[in-house]
Amino acid sequence: MFRRSGVVVLVAALTLAACQSAVSTGALQGVAIENPTEKGSFVLTDTEGESYDFAARTEGKLTLLYFGYLQCPDICPVHLAQIAEVLGEDAELARKTEVVFVSVDPDRDTPEAIREFLDRFDTAFVGLTGSHDQLKTAQEAAGVPPARILGEGDDYTVDHAGWVIAYAPDGLSYSIYPFGTRQSQWNNDLQLLAKLVGEQGS
Amino acid sequence: MNKSNAALRFLAVVALVLTAGCSGETDGLQISDARVGAPTGPNAAMYFTARGSDEADSLRSASTDVANEVQIHETVTSDEGTMSMPSIPRLELPAGGQLVLEPGGYHLMLVDVDQLEVGDTISVTLTWEVAGEMTVEAEVVDPSDTMGEE
Repeated sequence: MFRRSGVVVLVAALTLAACQSAVSTGALQGVAIENPTEKGSFVLTDTEGESYDFAARTEGKLTLLYFGYLQCPDICPVHLAQIAEVLGEDAELARKTEVVFVSVDPDRDTPEAIREFLDRFDTAFVGLTGSHDQLKTAQEAAGVPPARILGEGDDYTVDHAGWVIAYAPDGLSYSIYPFGTRQSQWNNDLQLLAKLVGEQGS
Repeated sequence: MNKSNAALRFLAVVALVLTAGCSGETDGLQISDARVGAPTGPNAAMYFTARGSDEADSLRSASTDVANEVQIHETVTSDEGTMSMPSIPRLELPAGGQLVLEPGGYHLMLVDVDQLEVGDTISVTLTWEVAGEMTVEAEVVDPSDTMGEE
């Protein structure tokens, strides 16, 4: 049932917007969302062991939300490294941006390990974890299909949403970033999305 | 046959011989663009492009001193857009064709890899069904630089 709702969400997400919304998002190069979705609300635990209310803590900021896991060597680091590269060159943009990485592998990814992982990209990146149930709730709130464990024993891998969700400072998601997004597209879109602050007056 | 035709034939033969001579030294399977994303967790991914010889081949396994194990993986995208990376037993290199390992597709996963820094070079031994063992040097790059040219 969750998988089905995930399909619906993704189909909606992957439908390229034929017309521009009120906000000037036409120049965005990510995959446009036809009907911009609101930021989901969920509470998880950050790498300091503190409770982290996603919607409240990221309010008014350009927010990039990604569900992944530490043993993923192929796509997770690429997304995060690309984002870190843009923010590393623009302190002002970095100040307005919150990057939130949620580990969907709570059995292996300890808060310490998540912190160490993220620090390799940017020490300001937020890392979250929680129980399996909490993580499922968070993924549903974000509109991504819940991650699934594949394989058995210690060697399992995780099937997880491969895209980064971007929420503009107005709290809406106009675009998502599937794997394969180019550095130039990140550069373009993060600058544009952050500027929605001014237009929205938030 | 007139003279000019004969001359052309001669030149063609010379060209063929020269070409064969060139490829003689580097004949067979060739690896290029070998690179490893700097590890950010316990594992790292290695990518390269292999160009085949006249004979089809398949990559059976790989090993390196800097990791406990090397697995062959394929990142698979589901209809829902979720991604997973099942381990697969081998990678096929068609005769005269190429095999591309790149982010979002095939990769070699270096399991429990040593700490590697951008700019380091590591040696990885690839074991092919036909070509046998060959050792390649792979450069450690930033994960954002593992994708090919835009």
